[in-house]
Amino acid sequence: MKFLCIECETSMKFKDVTRPEQGSITAVFECPDCFTEIAMFLNPSETQMLKSMDLKLGGTHEAAQPMQMLRSQLLTGKEDAIPDLTTETKTGEAEGGKCPFTSVISEAYEEESVPETDGLKWTQEALERLERIPAFVRPMAKMGIESFAKDNGHTEITAEVMDQARGNFPAQF
Amino acid sequence: MKNYKDLPNDSGSNIVGQVTAQANRVKERLSSVKYTIAVMSGKGGVGKSAVTANVATALSLQGYSVGVVDADLNGPTIAKMMGVRDSTLEYTSTGVKPATTTLGIKVISMDLLLSEDDAPVLWNAHSQKDAFTWRSTMEVSALREFIGDTEWEELDYLLLDLPPGSERLANVVELIPSLSGVVVVTIPSDVSQLIVKKSVTMARDVLSVPIIGVVENMTYYVCHHCGEREPLFSNEDSVESTFQFTLLGRIPFDPRLSQCNDSGIPYIEQFPNNPASEAIVETAQNIQNYFNTQS
Repeated sequence: MKFLCIECETSMKFKDVTRPEQGSITAVFECPDCFTEIAMFLNPSETQMLKSMDLKLGGTHEAAQPMQMLRSQLLTGKEDAIPDLTTETKTGEAEGGKCPFTSVISEAYEEESVPETDGLKWTQEALERLERIPAFVRPMAKMGIESFAKDNGHTEITAEVMDQARGNFPAQF
Repeated sequence: MKNYKDLPNDSGSNIVGQVTAQANRVKERLSSVKYTIAVMSGKGGVGKSAVTANVATALSLQGYSVGVVDADLNGPTIAKMMGVRDSTLEYTSTGVKPATTTLGIKVISMDLLLSEDDAPVLWNAHSQKDAFTWRSTMEVSALREFIGDTEWEELDYLLLDLPPGSERLANVVELIPSLSGVVVVTIPSDVSQLIVKKSVTMARDVLSVPIIGVVENMTYYVCHHCGEREPLFSNEDSVESTFQFTLLGRIPFDPRLSQCNDSGIPYIEQFPNNPASEAIVETAQNIQNYFNTQS
């Protein structure tokens, strides 16, 4: 990807990137001559493609950590087999940087944290159905249902909303 | 106005540099591996993984240092077949220490990472909808990390057990341009050979990968009572005439091979003097011969 400031005929430079929100990220580029800024929006599929290739917008100065893509992106991995890279960073810092992962991967692709409920209420019936989803896919299913509910203007997650949201994730419930 | 080629770089992300760094990591890791071999068929159910596990064991018993990559990310079986399914991977600053069999064969498999027996491979994504657009890219990245981040150290042979599908080899060749060759596994049936031929064409004519030879699996059945050999399939064309490559071995069917796969002790270790083991040893020997001839 290259960006040209048409006015100055100058190659624009990467300035900043936001963490994903609703699966989409925003990258800001600036003209080094006139300081004009532009924003590039990547839709969820484009963001996911970059993530799948383990590439970082704006580049990276950090050497890749062993199996960093697998460890950060495999949802169904067992905990002792896939130590969390961000947890290791914190541990390393606490121990004076001895952890080999102190300078770990960028968190560029971690979603901005959203409040647990984000104004959405779950009915008891919906919660019971959520509990029936296998544990290893439940967080992803919950996120998919809440995302669907917000996108479609629901304030309460009911069994009917869950039925409508089925297409957003692979779990059956 | 300037065009794409007039601009010297990609506005700061250095995507080409990032991809090159990934490729270099694989290249560097494999610099201590003498021969990298893909075991493929294109067709499922011909016994690729069992052949891979047993040929790896045969090579190891002959004194070679061996590693196995289970490249079938969605249907991993190698860890179970080689008895390392309960191993825990150890992460260091430079890589991941693989599982190691009692013979010292190094193994990496998705099976070592998944949380439960019934856990499928699921990737983190805002939505799993339209996952078909990025899932295979994610899988290639995972395979790249398996190959490039596992601490193989010095190896004589690194075997890659590929999943079915002729396009899988193309992914491997992208990751390992220096792939030493391909071992093709088939069974003596028209249906199998119809599909395997496509994989051979892909390997030889499209990807220009050397084909080490063909293994014919489940060629015949040896009666345990009278020792008579009975064919399992009715294909009249010999595998040599169909593929016109070196026949590395004809491995007879033995139901105990399946039991060994389940128990995690390779058949060749448990029944070293049986006809199937002899055929597997011959296959391993022919692979060595191929490389001896090449050098």
